[in-house]
Amino acid sequence: MNSVSPSAAQYVGGVMQDELVDRGRQQQPMERQGSFGVRPPQTQDASREAAGEPDEMDKLKAKLMSAWNNVKYGWTVKSKTSFNKMSPVTILGHSYLLNSEDEVERFRLAFVSRIWLTYRREFPQLEGSTWTTDCGWGCMLRSGQMLLAQGLLVHLMPRDWVWPESQQLTDVDFEVFRPRSPARAGGVPIPSFGSPRGSSTPEKSLPSSQAPRCSQKKRVHESTKDRQEHIHSRLVTWFGDQPPAPFGVHQLVDIGKGSGKKAGDWYGPSVVAHILRKAVDKTSVVTNLAVYVAQDCTVYKEDVVRLCDRSLNQTSSDPSSQDWKSVIILVPVRLGGEALNPSYIDCVKNFLKLDCCIGIIGGKPKHSLYFIGFQDEQLLYLDPHYCQPVVDVSQINFSLESFHCSSPKKMPFNRMDPSCTIGFYAKNKKDFESLCSAVSEALSSSKEKYPVFTFVEGHSQDYGLEGHSSNHSGPPAHILPPGRLGRSNNRRSSEEFVFL
Amino acid sequence: MAPREKSQPHSKPFKLRKSLATRKQEVAGIRAKFPNKVPVIIERYDKEKYLPPLDKTKFLVPHELTMTQFVTIIRNRMALLPSQAFYLLINNSGLASMSLTMAQVYKEHQDEDGFLYMTYASQEMFGR
Repeated sequence: MNSVSPSAAQYVGGVMQDELVDRGRQQQPMERQGSFGVRPPQTQDASREAAGEPDEMDKLKAKLMSAWNNVKYGWTVKSKTSFNKMSPVTILGHSYLLNSEDEVERFRLAFVSRIWLTYRREFPQLEGSTWTTDCGWGCMLRSGQMLLAQGLLVHLMPRDWVWPESQQLTDVDFEVFRPRSPARAGGVPIPSFGSPRGSSTPEKSLPSSQAPRCSQKKRVHESTKDRQEHIHSRLVTWFGDQPPAPFGVHQLVDIGKGSGKKAGDWYGPSVVAHILRKAVDKTSVVTNLAVYVAQDCTVYKEDVVRLCDRSLNQTSSDPSSQDWKSVIILVPVRLGGEALNPSYIDCVKNFLKLDCCIGIIGGKPKHSLYFIGFQDEQLLYLDPHYCQPVVDVSQINFSLESFHCSSPKKMPFNRMDPSCTIGFYAKNKKDFESLCSAVSEALSSSKEKYPVFTFVEGHSQDYGLEGHSSNHSGPPAHILPPGRLGRSNNRRSSEEFVFL
Repeated sequence: MAPREKSQPHSKPFKLRKSLATRKQEVAGIRAKFPNKVPVIIERYDKEKYLPPLDKTKFLVPHELTMTQFVTIIRNRMALLPSQAFYLLINNSGLASMSLTMAQVYKEHQDEDGFLYMTYASQEMFGR
């Protein structure tokens, strides 16, 4: 598989490291190396092994699997991603026409500032299993984490927030273009431009660019910047690979048990949407935020209102809380049978052009990716398939570097798996109303006769089948008992019509 | 992961089991008897691994029933939880708008044989 190679950013020559030092992160290069060695406390490992729940065979299998996956996903395949200067690149509601240095710089900041969550290894054992890594099975959970992290970023940070320490882009190719004005030449560092495809290394343009960047940064008010960076790293700790982290893989796997999933299983975009909803419900670290998951491709507006409108909810007596909760709306869909129905492509593009869109979790078949944008007929994504060692986020000043990706990747729309979950965010009531109209408009542009999903006034129960004769309330079988799968059918009776 | 369902109720899809003439005849017969209902064929997506097979494939559905109600009925027949992914694809490719009535969907998408074909599927799983 085409793994991302973020390592290139960290280990290519001294330029990168010098820059880090310049930015007052003297300990960086060494500490990063050091963080590779962070391991869960030994005592925990020992006690778990003593418990000896799973048998030896399973243990061996798990060990072999994770060894293989470490090789597979730790392998860095260098392949450059090309961006043309003719068509804009869209990232979550913002477009960048990459024909000038300034735009490339804005694109870089927009891309690298997204939170990147990948496979990790050597984290504390997942309860009830032998797994200490999610390499090779947890990619959909990681994509879901990235979607939630983006939702939390827009919830907690100003819309235009960028990570001041964003790395330079790696493994990218931009088309040749001229600097906009002589004064700006070299003013903004961009990776390989002004060179034939592939012949230039990203680092070339860097050294001359240090000074202007620093002065530019000073203009940002220090305390605001500090506060934002504090929120930024706190947000990342919520996704730490440790059992108490509210959105960490331990917590998500645990919640997934309620849907019949366990560590080592593969997850789907719909299951993950529900896991995220429950995780946000459960935690107290994020207040004033709700998650709504649409069922049957329908968003019932009154159900969202009921979730968000605090005045309808007498139980909340906290005077500090606002009247209206912010909301993340997740819509699991299936955009075709075997393959993506091409007539939905325009609609997917339209979603990604919306300010309120926080991305799409889906992937190539069997291979989950977090889609954040597109250029022409190619989706832009963050890839969780890179197995990194765990980072102990409980350490003060832990390194944020492995939580941001420096190499944007693209794939053609026609390789997109039809199963996905689309994410939106609305800060307040007014936002929600404009979300409804903006998304409805995006939906109506589909070439397909019917929209991908719909907004409906009222509650879901208003549209149900209360009183309908076929409505029965037998015990729901979430996981199908094996016996039922094999239920034989009487050929003749199945040939008869069922009257509804 | 749930094991792939090996024994389908029918090895072949409905359309391949019967000739066009037979299917047309069948529709004509049932439409004459029940002019207020539309004949719908519902089959499981051939690669579906998580949803159970339906015991029946042929449904006669009232014109005024909405897609939402129809989906609810099929969900109930399978005893699915609300949070379980379930999609009805028309002609195995597009989703139907939930607010449409069956008559509307039928009018737009009926096959040349007079049946309306739908496939049901959950979502794919991802893991590597």
